[in-house]
Amino acid sequence: MDAALIWEWIIKSVVILLVMTGGFAYVTLYERRVLARMQVRIGPNRVGWQGLLQPVADGIKLIFKEELTPVGADRLIFILAPVITVIPALIVTAVVPWGTEVNLFGRIVPLRLADINVAVLYILSVTSISVYGITLAGWSSNNKYAMLGGLRATAQMISYELALGMAFVGPILWTGSMSLGDIVSAQKNLWFVVIMPLGFIIYVIASLAEVNRSPFDMPEAEQELTAGYHTEYSGMKFALFFMAEYIKMIGVSMIGATLFLGGYQGPFVDAYPWLGPIYLFIKVALWLFFMIWVRATLPRFRYDRLMAFGWKVLLPLSLLYIVVTAVLRLLVGG
Amino acid sequence: MNDPVDSFMNFDLISRYPGLVKKDQRTGYSGYIVEADCLVQFARAVRDELGFDYLSMITAADYYPDDLMDVIYLLYRTTGGPGILFKVQVSRLDSKVPSLSSIFAGAELQEREVWDMYGISFEDHPDLRRILLWDGFEGHPLRKDWKEPLFEEDSKPYKDRWPAGKHKRQEDLNPFKNNVSYPIGFEPEHFSSNNEKALYDALNKTSGNLNGSLKTDQIIVNLGPQHPSTHGVFRMAALLEGETIIDLKPVMGYLHRSHEKIGERNTFLQNMPYTDRLDYISSMSNNFGYALAVEKLMAVTPPERAEYIRVIMAELTRISSHIMTTGFLLNELGAMFTPSLYALEERELILDIFEEVSGSRMMCNYFRFGGVVRDISDSVIEKIRKLVFNRLPRKIDELDRYLTHNEIVRLRTEGVGVLTADEAAAYSAGGPLLRASGVPYDVRKAEPYSIYDRFKFDVAVRYHGDIYDRYLVRLDEMRQSIRIIQQAIHDIPSGPVMTGKSQYQPKVPAGEAYGRVEGPKGELGFYIVSDGKQNPRRYHVRAPSFINLTALSEMSKGEKVADVIAILGSIDIILGEVDR
Amino acid sequence: MLNDYLPIIILLVLATVLGFLVLIIGALFGPRRPTQRKAAPYESGMIPYGPGTRRISVRYYLVAVLFILFDIETVFFLPWAVVFRQLGWFALIEMLVFIGILLIGFVYVWKKGALEWE
Repeated sequence: MDAALIWEWIIKSVVILLVMTGGFAYVTLYERRVLARMQVRIGPNRVGWQGLLQPVADGIKLIFKEELTPVGADRLIFILAPVITVIPALIVTAVVPWGTEVNLFGRIVPLRLADINVAVLYILSVTSISVYGITLAGWSSNNKYAMLGGLRATAQMISYELALGMAFVGPILWTGSMSLGDIVSAQKNLWFVVIMPLGFIIYVIASLAEVNRSPFDMPEAEQELTAGYHTEYSGMKFALFFMAEYIKMIGVSMIGATLFLGGYQGPFVDAYPWLGPIYLFIKVALWLFFMIWVRATLPRFRYDRLMAFGWKVLLPLSLLYIVVTAVLRLLVGG
Repeated sequence: MNDPVDSFMNFDLISRYPGLVKKDQRTGYSGYIVEADCLVQFARAVRDELGFDYLSMITAADYYPDDLMDVIYLLYRTTGGPGILFKVQVSRLDSKVPSLSSIFAGAELQEREVWDMYGISFEDHPDLRRILLWDGFEGHPLRKDWKEPLFEEDSKPYKDRWPAGKHKRQEDLNPFKNNVSYPIGFEPEHFSSNNEKALYDALNKTSGNLNGSLKTDQIIVNLGPQHPSTHGVFRMAALLEGETIIDLKPVMGYLHRSHEKIGERNTFLQNMPYTDRLDYISSMSNNFGYALAVEKLMAVTPPERAEYIRVIMAELTRISSHIMTTGFLLNELGAMFTPSLYALEERELILDIFEEVSGSRMMCNYFRFGGVVRDISDSVIEKIRKLVFNRLPRKIDELDRYLTHNEIVRLRTEGVGVLTADEAAAYSAGGPLLRASGVPYDVRKAEPYSIYDRFKFDVAVRYHGDIYDRYLVRLDEMRQSIRIIQQAIHDIPSGPVMTGKSQYQPKVPAGEAYGRVEGPKGELGFYIVSDGKQNPRRYHVRAPSFINLTALSEMSKGEKVADVIAILGSIDIILGEVDR
Repeated sequence: MLNDYLPIIILLVLATVLGFLVLIIGALFGPRRPTQRKAAPYESGMIPYGPGTRRISVRYYLVAVLFILFDIETVFFLPWAVVFRQLGWFALIEMLVFIGILLIGFVYVWKKGALEWE
């Protein structure tokens, strides 16, 4: 192992963190602008050209906000909870390949941080951790809304995690590998969304629930629980939760695009490897647009129906999807 | 008030309770005077034998310096027709009346209000607490001898401001200056409210075990006053088990502005702009109700053109209110503002018309006793025509298409917050809330006012009594309103818009009158007592939003937290009207 | 082996640093003027009645237990999927048996009403 390799990893890690935090900032702007357009409004367009500096202004505002800790809160957990939520969100995309390999300053650099052979398992376990942050935030706030919100979030996320996990099985089955790099390579000619549309749909639904987006945004249901588990959070602690939510959005979009939409694959990507990240970016942007679109259009499910849907519809459907995919795989030959 | 009861004989209520019931003989008054002892019997007979099953209003009037207060009850039949009015006279010193809440569930909140304002205690009332004022409040303010700390005079216009007064205001004499000091001995931080305690006790009393087997903690959660979806400062104290509502109590009064007290100090005309501030979404309807009540006392009728203009404006108001309610109901269901903003777009177009005719978009202050303040131009009529023949029907159909068959909307609203027809009538629910429960009661048909008897329209009615049906009723009503406006636009004659000359100080003969209209939220009534002076002696608003809230608790029991928000949205309250 | 995971550990360390950095920035620049009213837990502007955290509804525990059961099943699916092509039809039949047993449990849970939220 040489020092250059370690430096390469550090640089890549920093790049990932920068892309994620920067992406978070601009996804908020993206969402606000798109949402506004869908609602016959204009949206933020005053700070900078087309409102491009709006996220910066928001960030500065949050930095100078007072942070409050409610009476009776468990102080240590209260402070740690946002960090516990944000770390999994930041590292979950570490295993997603961005492209093939490029030649940078005479050095062959693979466009990925790590290509581990249990990438899918890694994703599943990391997403599980982020549930802790939310549960602990709700529990430690000494607030009824927060507690109800935290409980809702926990129950919802673990229920939909089952379907999410099973949605991963299809691509693995087809590829015979848990490495996301292999899964992307296997989609060179045909995206998996064509082969297993059912799995794709299950993934989309379960991922919306996993990141608490409309119509599954129960945990923070503004109309009922004011702000759910982060009711008591203000200033930068709130910003961390906000960051975690949006980074998770980017994360599930990236993972979804990788699993079902061919990841960085696209025309001419072999000849020009730099096109890889661009293709991935476009796919992620479209996926995010879809999420925002759903948010602008659909009302929220009620909590008990949401749980019933997760257990009684999505879970049996996922089992069916696995069997169908397996049979299809055998028939196609392999 | 021309006697409504005469029209179906007196049924000999008087001879049936000899010495206990008599006719109200004062000039300008009508109805019966009932002794407190037989009030409950009398009310039950009126309900069961005469069929007056809808308690419309309970209020009181103070006749200081006489030692006399009237408690006024007004009942209607849900099949339509005029109502029956009866009063109980009580002494100002020892004022007790039996409660009617065992016969009419809808009496609960209104009796609390009378207790709050007049200090008349209702015996056997289940939960007699102050409702609009806080419980540290001294006295009962609508009594005529109650004086606020900076009392100036009993009636406007105050001498030092009119006609060439010195403009020295009483506020300048305020010993507390910016109102940052409190009386000696009062510690706001340590004030503990008995009302709060009573509220939580009342909630805890109902805590039954829901499923009998597993005991979990029940929590009392306050939803409101500072809550994003209570339409303002409205509060619901809910007893929860898990996410299921076991009991719920509405708490209101955070936006109380002494509307009626101010109204009794004002001159009759000065009250017109005040009515705008009741249900600030539909100021035209509020003007309409108040104008009708005072016109009954003055015995004037507006000219033809004014009547048409009034109807057009009132129906436009209904459309704008309903379309907004529909949009915001979806918001309550969690649909991130898109439907409400679509609805607001249409409302803007209606507000444009209001602005053009009255000069103001929301606080229109457009009606006068005997007409409207100014004529509308042909260009406005042209605009309204375009709106009702083209744009609005299209947009309502669009809303219908988007929402009516949406899976999630139906899942969330069907069978939720059910109010049966009997319950709805008993709780004095009004407007879309009542009609969605299968009671086709609409003041425009039940007791047509203005010129509503000339138009062809149907009373929108649905039968399930859930949120979904309330939404459908509102949709239907918008279509019917468009129908009415289409006919009115077609028939509107030319001519004057005001009877007699406009005057600042109309002569209002002594007597009482109740004018009511079918407002967007339900029956909006104004009970006015005049003693021939320039100010009303009693000015009471039968606020539909307020009375509709009586049924909230009943509708919410057994539902989920998320549903309660939607139920509240489907009642469609405006806090300006609830708290007055 | 280490080479595979070291970059992830580096990222993890950096992400943790970032998380705490954000907290510290907030603590450094934000004003700090707590009052009794501000520090009270938020309950729509009312003084909360009773404690904020307490025993929770038993249904949530039920969900947690069910989740553990079915999550283990998901974990079994993953290695099976990896070696599926080597094993062929045998793997399919094996998995059908597995799913069949699971379904029996699932139906039992459903019929017992453990999935109901009423």
